[in-house]
Amino acid sequence: MVLLIVFVGIQLIPTKRNQSDEVLSSDILLTYIVPEDVQSILKTSCCDCHSNNTNYPWYNKIQPFSWILENHIEQGKAELNFSDFGSYSRRRQKSILKSMASQIEKGEMPLSSYTLIHRDAKIFENEKLILINWINNLRDSL
Amino acid sequence: MKKAIYLLAFIVLFLTACNIDKKRSNKNDLQSEETYKQKEGIQHHSSTELEKRSIESTTKKTATLEKIINSYLDLKNALVEDDAKKAAVAGKMMLSAFSSFEMLTLTEKQRKEYLEIAEDSKVHADHIMKSPIDHQREHFDVLSVNLDDLIALVGTEKHLYQIFCPMYNNGKGAIWISETEEIRNPYYGSKMLTCGKVQKEIK
Repeated sequence: MVLLIVFVGIQLIPTKRNQSDEVLSSDILLTYIVPEDVQSILKTSCCDCHSNNTNYPWYNKIQPFSWILENHIEQGKAELNFSDFGSYSRRRQKSILKSMASQIEKGEMPLSSYTLIHRDAKIFENEKLILINWINNLRDSL
Repeated sequence: MKKAIYLLAFIVLFLTACNIDKKRSNKNDLQSEETYKQKEGIQHHSSTELEKRSIESTTKKTATLEKIINSYLDLKNALVEDDAKKAAVAGKMMLSAFSSFEMLTLTEKQRKEYLEIAEDSKVHADHIMKSPIDHQREHFDVLSVNLDDLIALVGTEKHLYQIFCPMYNNGKGAIWISETEEIRNPYYGSKMLTCGKVQKEIK
């Protein structure tokens, strides 16, 4: 009975929704050339936590899942936000790109807790190559 | 059964508290950064006067860069010793060294680049505080380039050496800055201590 009360109680706590239709001028897609295949991987595997527009699953409306998601999104955006990418300094962009390549190569990103639920977000070996090549080329060009 | 329910309720409430605290501390960080930027704006107006005095304050200027360099050297030496904990401490020192750097001693032109270097370096220093050693070394790679740029920008009275490790980064190589010509590799530590070559003397 107490469990039910607690469960209902925590549903009343409000959470932010990370959603925006607006494409900022600082969006990475408007700053650099991003090939279609790379865009597709970024959208499916990265943008939920690393942009201003999250594609929320149905269970997002239920606590404590809402908190967990909000936490991930907050942390993800603080590290890297593709919507703001163009506003970072060149030096910062280069640093981030380096980290991206390393973490994708090592399989540290996307998070396994994320790909467990979002099976389509898993990045396969050939996709890894495509992504890392693009990242390295962009970094070298800056 | 009852105990389990109370425990679960406690855990949920505890998690809520943690989340709120985290948000608060994030907000505080943001606020102090805003204040710092505002202060910087005020200092901007008196920069011409300060430039006249900058020749006299050379010692002060290089003394302040010294803190940053010292924290970097501590970090470098910790990585040489394969000591992630020591490296984390050095990362914290570096964070505070950048935060306490006296920007008044810089010209307007220098300030922009300094801020970019500082902003990026602080993120790396912060990550170093909470990463395993292989990640710390990745951040150290970028920090070494940043420090090299910073020294080129501001100058230093310290006698330093730029050393190149040809193998790191899948053979692309990486540099590090050292207080000594002696080769002690921070990227590989004990695994390959003497791999490297002095490329440049900084004085």
